[in-house]
Amino acid sequence: MREFFAMGGYAAYVWPAYAVTLAVVVFNIVSARRSLARAREEARRRLSMRGEGS
Amino acid sequence: MATARPLNWTWFHRLGSPPYIYELAARLAPWFGWPAALAIVGGLWGGLVLAPPDYQQGDGFRIIYVHAPSAWMSLMVYTTMAVAAATGLIWRMKIAHAVAASCAPIGASFTLAALVTGALWGQPMWGTYWEWDPRLTSELILFFLYLGYLGLRAGFDDTQRADRASGLLAVVGVVNVPIIHYSVTWWNSLHQAPSVMRLAKPTMPPSMLVPLLLMLLGFTLFFVAILLVRLRAEVLNRERSASWVREVLGP
Repeated sequence: MREFFAMGGYAAYVWPAYAVTLAVVVFNIVSARRSLARAREEARRRLSMRGEGS
Repeated sequence: MATARPLNWTWFHRLGSPPYIYELAARLAPWFGWPAALAIVGGLWGGLVLAPPDYQQGDGFRIIYVHAPSAWMSLMVYTTMAVAAATGLIWRMKIAHAVAASCAPIGASFTLAALVTGALWGQPMWGTYWEWDPRLTSELILFFLYLGYLGLRAGFDDTQRADRASGLLAVVGVVNVPIIHYSVTWWNSLHQAPSVMRLAKPTMPPSMLVPLLLMLLGFTLFFVAILLVRLRAEVLNRERSASWVREVLGP
């Protein structure tokens, strides 16, 4: 297990590379979901502002 | 001979209909997201655990399993964005502009990942994090193209004008894509030549190649899933007064 994490002496390069990529993947998931949630919220606010009559 | 029937184009027109797209994207997203997760987990297992160390680069070569897919995303997403923008400009299709706008943040983030993982690979193998080398420089320009596209859009209040201006930038900037791809062949580059995306047989044994192909597939599916979610937000933001919005949002 320790050998696996040592990455043959390249741990200082391999793991940060994987961490950065993971961060980008997570950023994409979070930011896409957040922008959809915000768009829905915004649309709902607009609808309620225009009232029931329209 | 049978009498010619008029072609049925309803499916094509429906693709231009915002409520249809909004619902279709919601239904399709999990069909890309979950297979993406499976492919990436499989690729990681194969790349980090099963694949043997490289005979020259040892375990350092394993950076390829995040670097190559990120670099692939940077180019593939840009190409998708440029094609969508061109479609929007030529046929005045709003939904195409919405696709292009949804691509930009995804592409920009993976271009950044490609640059950073490349630097982390460059230091142990070439002895430097950065070099003003054709491949590295053209990839950096790609990152600035994405930022320029996003910045340009943010500068307009009017969506249609933002679509036109940013769309033009996306289309013009696409010349950079073949430059990046062929930079390692055209110029003397520090960067190694392609080992998968080439006409001859790949240079890797299957134990190294299969995990890489899984990662490339996984990232591509991931792009589609994220694009679909972003597209829904984009469509909703553009349909300010449509009555269908009330229906899809519910009470």
